[in-house]
Amino acid sequence: MGRFCAAPGRWKGPVTLLPDVLPVLDQVMGLCGRSAHFDAHTPLLGAVPELDSMAVVALVSALEERFALDFADDDLHAGTFATVGSLCAMLERQQA
Amino acid sequence: MAPQGAQGAQGPLDSPCSRAFFLQAAPGQRFCIYHPSAAALRGAVLYIHPFAEEMHCARRMAALQSRALAAAGFAVLQVDLLGCGDSSGDFADALWEHWLADVQAAACWLLHQAEHESGFAPPCLWLWGLRAGCLLARQAAERLGRPCQLLFWQPCLSGRAVLQQWVRLQGAADLLGNGAAAGGNTPLQRLQAGQEVELAGYMLTPALAQGLQAAQLQAPDAGSPVRQVVWFELSLQQPPALSALPPPWQSTPCKLQRQALPGPAFWQLMDAPANLGLLQASTAALCAGAT
Repeated sequence: MGRFCAAPGRWKGPVTLLPDVLPVLDQVMGLCGRSAHFDAHTPLLGAVPELDSMAVVALVSALEERFALDFADDDLHAGTFATVGSLCAMLERQQA
Repeated sequence: MAPQGAQGAQGPLDSPCSRAFFLQAAPGQRFCIYHPSAAALRGAVLYIHPFAEEMHCARRMAALQSRALAAAGFAVLQVDLLGCGDSSGDFADALWEHWLADVQAAACWLLHQAEHESGFAPPCLWLWGLRAGCLLARQAAERLGRPCQLLFWQPCLSGRAVLQQWVRLQGAADLLGNGAAAGGNTPLQRLQAGQEVELAGYMLTPALAQGLQAAQLQAPDAGSPVRQVVWFELSLQQPPALSALPPPWQSTPCKLQRQALPGPAFWQLMDAPANLGLLQASTAALCAGAT
């Protein structure tokens, strides 16, 4: 089983999953509706204080459940959680 | 000022009647909180916590549920297992077998205490687990030598999955720059090589990992003392959706009730709001099961 590894990667393409991902972010991190102001460029890791290590794991589990996916740990690197858009991009790659 | 009748450590989550104490065990002692039944005794409930940070995140829900069950007529015991919470030892001292023995000892104390207070033996014993606590509850149920019932909150289906979650947590800590720089082998490879591994602040020994990895949430068969299983999951989907039931559970002869309720994974969140739906559904299910 791989460890999370640091890797670059910012998503700059279209983000069709945004409306599905934002409610999960909001509920998992207890943002109380703040995610309504998020867009694809909103930084996550290191910028949203609620996103601590437990919340990262909770977010991964919730996304796996919501999108019926099973992430390999190699998919879960720092670049994945850099922005809302990079997170959506990882999900879109998984769904492809 | 502490509430009247308070003994030992009291926190804001303790009801006036609950009391904290140390249960003698081997090795050392276990921190317990006992909530006596506040009504005619329906039964006894033993709470078995999850591990590492999940234990701490879930404290509020565990306390609220314990108090609700006590008010409904159950004698409830919360126990911190060896090396966890305020009990003796470090996490690295614990073996899966120690935790199973702790559950047995705590159940024994609880049954005697409830009988002593009410003058009759509790009509039923529920082992209530959260996450990996369900794995322990399921295994311990076979060793109690008496019929029992199980309340599962978001059960882990295998110890292997629990271990993977810890590895992920360490990985997430590394992402945030909180973890020790780890090069070379993965944590699981190091455990298999007989090395201790620190995962998310907890020192995991190869011996504990071995016991954990062997644990499975087995479906009760016809000879099992488990009479009933109430199984709740929380889901962020609308409507809330249950995970797939493992095939052995689809043919279990014991009474099985499963329900998904809305809400985030409070065991993974600091300061998560209380999930009142889960509290009420659990109390209702245990009251219905006790009749």
